[in-house]
Amino acid sequence: MSSLIAHNLSYSYSKNSEPALTKVSVEIKPGTLTALVGPNGAGKSTLLRLMKGQTSPDSGEITIDGEILNKSSTQVALMPQRSSMNWKFPITVEKLVSLGQIKKTKSRNSLPFQIKDLLSRPKTWVNKCCEIEASMQRVGISNLAKRRLDSLSGGQQQRALLAKTLMSSAKIFLLDEPCSALDPPAREEFLKIVRQIADSGLSVFISSHDWGSSLNAYDRVVVLDKRILATGTPNVIQERLDDICCLKDKTLCDC
Amino acid sequence: MSFFNLTWWIVPLIITIFSGILCPAMGTVLITHRRLLQVNLISHCVLPGLALALALGIHPSIGGVISGLTGAIIAESLTNKKSENYEAIMNTILAGMLGFGVLIIPLLGIRIDLEAVLFGDLLTANLGDLLRTLIAFLIFCSLIIFGYEKIIYVGLDSEGAAANGINVSLLNLALSFTTALVIVSSMSAVGVILVIALLSTPTLLGVSKAPSLRVAMIKSSIFGLFISVLGFIISLVFNLSPGPAISVLCVISLIFLKKDKRL
Repeated sequence: MSSLIAHNLSYSYSKNSEPALTKVSVEIKPGTLTALVGPNGAGKSTLLRLMKGQTSPDSGEITIDGEILNKSSTQVALMPQRSSMNWKFPITVEKLVSLGQIKKTKSRNSLPFQIKDLLSRPKTWVNKCCEIEASMQRVGISNLAKRRLDSLSGGQQQRALLAKTLMSSAKIFLLDEPCSALDPPAREEFLKIVRQIADSGLSVFISSHDWGSSLNAYDRVVVLDKRILATGTPNVIQERLDDICCLKDKTLCDC
Repeated sequence: MSFFNLTWWIVPLIITIFSGILCPAMGTVLITHRRLLQVNLISHCVLPGLALALALGIHPSIGGVISGLTGAIIAESLTNKKSENYEAIMNTILAGMLGFGVLIIPLLGIRIDLEAVLFGDLLTANLGDLLRTLIAFLIFCSLIIFGYEKIIYVGLDSEGAAANGINVSLLNLALSFTTALVIVSSMSAVGVILVIALLSTPTLLGVSKAPSLRVAMIKSSIFGLFISVLGFIISLVFNLSPGPAISVLCVISLIFLKKDKRL
């Protein structure tokens, strides 16, 4: 169980540009499902990249269980946005999921090492295959293992990507707009899966454009538009929706 | 007189076989990484290096590889695939480097058979050309054996790969270097311009429906081998130039490409 605290994060893409984030503070508690909502350009993806350690903030700090987050931390895993993936790449679901282990076995993932591994430590190799199968089962895509990625629907692709992300040894999972291209039933199904993951003790932090009733699926909601506008339970946020919209000249309500 | 009584065709045939396997395999990696425009860039950037190497008295292929790689590095430092200027900048460097090559040939006072460089002269290929092809083949195989997982990860999600500690810039540099090597090694077979067809067409046929990059490379190489050997035989029988014959066969083979309705 790990908790992540981001304290007073500020970040600009260049010296003269408007800050992408200003004094943002967020806490991700263990075993919670949190939504990060905000309009386009609110800085959601930037915040996730900072929380993953991919980018360093201009000021502020991020700690996990009291220790400063570093770039090589394996405690946090990030599931990227759909648009950053090359869905046409010739790869099966099973192989995609196995790539989630690449950091765990970084120095041993080339073919000669794989063969050596298989011969010298067949048990470890079998365990690895079991982990892949377990991860696919967790998100309900075991039956799609041999299918090519580009033959899947959008919802199935997102679940495959989630299975890959779950292969890491992280305790905190950051998902960047995983529901963006999904229809309502697929979105509901996806949220059910991440709820189960959160209930198993892992922390899930999801950025979303969805400002509607699906907010009720989360334990907490953080409203961001370059700075934190509100934080609280879904009920509290929905009650304060008008105030939050007023703060931003109704722009949030339009998204 | 039957040409089967002679041995002069053995070296060109072996080069054809290796180029027919190597180029589509390399092309498969590049097309899945959406880097095929780089093939065009590198193949046009080879000329100034060939000219300078000849003037300096070193082996032209070394100059060609360095020059092709330099063009790729310049392009990569000025733009990236996400930039809206990507294609324009790539094409500008491509044309500029080719123009530079053509300009310096008379200035350096050297003689280059431009036609052979650009379109290949397979029937005059020698053991040196074969050795060059074999070196490119071995380097490509090493890249695949030791970097296969990384190549897949970067092709699928380069940002995620970088976040997981893969040195994406180094891998891209290795891909550019190997591409330059493959293009220069195929100079005698199909020439640095017509090699684009051999890197692209069999790849299109091979990638379709392949469940993995490995299978896609094998399928592409089989198509490439078939096209190359057929082109070689046609050029011998009809006394044609093999490079253009292989390129034309590549175009004809596009009829076997199934149209993806989802595109």
